[in-house]
Amino acid sequence: MAQTALNPKSSTPAFDWKKWLGVIPFFLFAILFLVLPSLRLIAGSFTNNEGQFTIANILQLFQEQSILDAYWLSIRISAATAIGGGIFGFLLAYSVTVGGLPKPLRSALITFSGVASNFAGVPLAFAFIATLGRTGFVTALIKNLFGVNLYQQTSFDLYSFWGLSLTYMYFQFPLMVLIMAPALDGLKREWREAAENLGASTTQYWMRVAFPVLLPSILGSMILLFGNAFGAYATAYALTGGRLGIITIQIGAQIRGDVLHNPGLGYAMAMGMVVIMAISLMGYSWLQKRSERWLR
Amino acid sequence: MSYLSISHVTKKFGDTVVVDDFNLDIEKGEFVSFLGPSGCGKTTTLRMVAGFEIPTSGKILLNGADITDKAPNQRNVGMIFQSYALFPNMTVAQNIGFGLRIRKEPEATVKQRVDEMVSLINLEKHANKYPYQLSGGQQQRVSLARALANRPQVLLLDEPLSALDAKIRVSLRAEIRAIQKSLGITAIFVTHDQEEALSISDRIVVMNTGVMEQVGTPFEIYNFPTTVFAANFVGSLNNSSAEVVDPANSLISIDGVQFESAVDLKQRRKGDKVRVAIRPERLSFASEQKKANVVDATIENVTFLGSVVRIQVKIGQTKFNMDTFNNPFLELPKIGSMEQVTCSREAVLVLDE
Amino acid sequence: MASEKIGKVVEMSILTRIRRIPFWSWFWFILGALYFLLPLYATVNFSLRMERDVIGFKAYVRAFEDPEFIKTFLYSNMLALLTIVASIILIVPTAYWIRLRLPEARRIVEFITLLPFVVPAIILVFGLIRIYSSPVKIPFTDTTLLQPLTTFEVGTDILIVAGYVVLGLPYMYRSVDTGMRTVDVRTLTEAAQSLGASWFTIIVRVILPNIRAALLSGALLTFAIVVGEVTLASFLGVPAFGPYLFLLGQHRAYEPAALSFASFLLTWVAMGLIQLFTGGQGQTTGAH
Repeated sequence: MAQTALNPKSSTPAFDWKKWLGVIPFFLFAILFLVLPSLRLIAGSFTNNEGQFTIANILQLFQEQSILDAYWLSIRISAATAIGGGIFGFLLAYSVTVGGLPKPLRSALITFSGVASNFAGVPLAFAFIATLGRTGFVTALIKNLFGVNLYQQTSFDLYSFWGLSLTYMYFQFPLMVLIMAPALDGLKREWREAAENLGASTTQYWMRVAFPVLLPSILGSMILLFGNAFGAYATAYALTGGRLGIITIQIGAQIRGDVLHNPGLGYAMAMGMVVIMAISLMGYSWLQKRSERWLR
Repeated sequence: MSYLSISHVTKKFGDTVVVDDFNLDIEKGEFVSFLGPSGCGKTTTLRMVAGFEIPTSGKILLNGADITDKAPNQRNVGMIFQSYALFPNMTVAQNIGFGLRIRKEPEATVKQRVDEMVSLINLEKHANKYPYQLSGGQQQRVSLARALANRPQVLLLDEPLSALDAKIRVSLRAEIRAIQKSLGITAIFVTHDQEEALSISDRIVVMNTGVMEQVGTPFEIYNFPTTVFAANFVGSLNNSSAEVVDPANSLISIDGVQFESAVDLKQRRKGDKVRVAIRPERLSFASEQKKANVVDATIENVTFLGSVVRIQVKIGQTKFNMDTFNNPFLELPKIGSMEQVTCSREAVLVLDE
Repeated sequence: MASEKIGKVVEMSILTRIRRIPFWSWFWFILGALYFLLPLYATVNFSLRMERDVIGFKAYVRAFEDPEFIKTFLYSNMLALLTIVASIILIVPTAYWIRLRLPEARRIVEFITLLPFVVPAIILVFGLIRIYSSPVKIPFTDTTLLQPLTTFEVGTDILIVAGYVVLGLPYMYRSVDTGMRTVDVRTLTEAAQSLGASWFTIIVRVILPNIRAALLSGALLTFAIVVGEVTLASFLGVPAFGPYLFLLGQHRAYEPAALSFASFLLTWVAMGLIQLFTGGQGQTTGAH
């Protein structure tokens, strides 16, 4: 106590507000164009048409079947492309890192993945229409090779759940490759040698060491892929023209004109999305921290 | 028949010969070090014993069985890596029990053995910690315990101390040696640090560019190096070219200054060029009684190194280092002054030029 | 006998060689390559068949000649440029200040730069429209500060550039921050100060040249995100390339395919340049 009295500076570091002046433009920008718009949606979802506080919008979110369906469809597509893209992306990353393929293939794949993971929206939709649409290249190829007409003899439709999922996969698995390749590089050769030295077979090494070490990374990346697909709008809109009622398309319709006849419900729908995205980002960063501890 | 026998082992990567005709017999319970600079083939030799590399030619026999081509996971030799190589997803106890669980030992046996190993390395308090929560020295001890838990036939240590701080390096090296002795386990220790090799080993193999230079006890390696490389790599050394003056009496001359050696020079002829090596601590100022090998020297420089004072003297045209132990009453010679310097006949090593 | 032995040896070596070929690795790689290349091939193939029975570039000529294309494409490029400049002006001083003087702000700023992952473009534009399509007022008063931004052209441009800065924020900030960490701006600044350099000299002649590669990779990634962007552009109703391509796709077939392939090449150039500048270390993932 006596010490504190003698040396007040050391006990409470004075808040030096001048230092914070340097970051004010950034915070101002973030508040104006990121925080305020988000708060507006949150506030809106707790407001009724008369401008009073209500939680009716939130409750209605869980009662309106069409909204629940939209969320559910979005979640299914995102999960399917996250898991499918995650597994496929992992196998690809594996094949060019520890899988024994020649080195040049690795840099080719990484470059291509950088491009493909950024290739989305309208051009991607058009590319898939040219590939798997009714008159698409692969559709014709399958017809010529196997005599199967995808659109008449199977239930396949590019503008449906599986069609959109296949299209999303085009940017999903490259993203997985980009995240997993460094993680696979992080597997030390010595771990494999130590395991072998202690009597383990290759399978045992993968099951007991490599896979458990990579698991947080794999799961975390899949969650990231989930969020990536969940928030996507342009690709789905360009491909299906709004016919497939995923949540982003429903929100888009609500922005264009109040199709729900209740602005508050529209805001609640948007907030629900933000909540799901936030949960997945938290899951991702938690798993990422775990994996960094191991793969340092 | 020896316990571990490496005979005529050669390893090539493409056209480069990394290990050339390596021959060594190691007895059970022996602690052998492979000493040499990086790229001398010592690690490759060790990895061939572990099974991570297959010799291009030659044989490796362990306890009577030919293991030359055997897969690493069939050998039961314990390996310790420079980077510890602990499995990051397992606790200390799980790491140590890994090999036993792979062998499908009953859980009770595993647990008992793990406890035994954890107390052997004095890490009882840390058994449930993960590797990233341990210091480097602790991690390397875990790695030692993990290798020993399997009761390996040979323990292979690949520069296990190189990544550690100087202090921990010294204490851990004593610990490794003590554990090795108490278990009576055969060990091969790869290092580039001559002090480490000298302090820990029963025998040392000095290697250079894939070739064995000399094999011997630390005492032999230090005091009687047989090649210029071994002499230079182990300990600090003065060496100079010289000429044989009188083979019968083992007299040589460095720039006209004569020295008498204990080495038998009868195989050489007068006028032969040789290399003479003298350890700095074997040189001293001449006291009056001594008569042999007393030469004039100019004091060039005096460097204080703590326990030792290093004096640079010039004999003939060649500069020599001379080490004397420090004591508070030491009178340091003046630079530029002329003194008489001497060494015993045994200190004068004669090697091929 | 001898020939039999040799035969056996040859057979063995072929067997071991086959076993050495990583079959599954090749399998997945080829499958991945097909997934990548087939849609591209299909698009190119389709775009070259505008005239019956002739392979030609007519669709490309038609698409590029359309004055509407030129207008929207130039407009999108201008938006991209403005976004990049705005991002740099906003982010470089902030990241620099945090590294130098205000490490305690790091967590909150990093949190903010991650927010765009939580608020996807469609939600962002929703919020932006709701806020800025009504007059901006001083809180708790009726004083109008600004007309609704969406009612006049420059206002909309400001809004969309701001939105794009937000979308690119995670990538730009991380790129710049990593660049500053690798060159250790703190030591560089102190060294420059001890040599008597002014603040202006330090930033322009020491810091910026040293984070050049990071800036370029952040800028190119922003460019890739902005040039084809649809969501913000169509809801804010600006004449950008993304919405143009979308509309073109509603009533044409070949030109959109040609432009899609051209956009792919453009993305590739941007990513290729990033690889070139950062030696493969750059952040190369964008948002959708």
